[in-house]
Amino acid sequence: MKVLFYGRLADAIEPELELDNSVGCSVAELRDRLIVEHPGAGQSLRDKRARACVGDTLVDDSYRLSAGDTVEFLPPVSGG
Amino acid sequence: MSIVVRLEELELRPEDELAALLADSSGDGAIVSFVGVARPSSKDGHDIGRLTLERHPTLTRQSLEEIAVAAGQRFDVSHVRIVHRFGDIAPGEPIVFAAAAAAHRRAAFEAADCLMDRLKTEAVFWKRETGEAGSEWIEPTDTDYADRDRWG
Repeated sequence: MKVLFYGRLADAIEPELELDNSVGCSVAELRDRLIVEHPGAGQSLRDKRARACVGDTLVDDSYRLSAGDTVEFLPPVSGG
Repeated sequence: MSIVVRLEELELRPEDELAALLADSSGDGAIVSFVGVARPSSKDGHDIGRLTLERHPTLTRQSLEEIAVAAGQRFDVSHVRIVHRFGDIAPGEPIVFAAAAAAHRRAAFEAADCLMDRLKTEAVFWKRETGEAGSEWIEPTDTDYADRDRWG
């Protein structure tokens, strides 16, 4: 499964990862796995304002990932 | 009611945007516009060489459109215009032009105020300041979120 990161998360992890064994996981479980594998991004991943997005739609941490999903993690956004 | 939303990578000319809004809004009695400008120094007083705004391939435009449409529906305005830069921005350069036109001033002031409070906290960009002190991601402050929450 493809996982994309932006902003400070892309800096701390990579802009893009390919993860095996993630179909059926919840977004919360995926976050936990990423925190273990990328401890430097732990604080940013735990931030409640860092939202997950699947198919251009924001999803809750309870969302279960399906085959073919691409997950994007968006750290807090700011324009202006 | 008309909405204009644009993303610009290289240049934003507020005077051109205001002129276009004036031309679009004949018959209205009020235009309120806001121009956000890149600062030359950080909150800590360090010189900033550039501000970089990263965007999302689809969600950035979507967020600007949603903010503009919501303001158009909420306030008694005839035009809403948001033009936002992305990419590298030098100190002193405009980052955003956000404006509303209305028959009367109060609605235009409120719409522009609301536009900016939502842009600061909901527009899908990631901002980074780079300068003499290194590079730092800039996120909304508690005050920014409180300002946004004033609008419910």
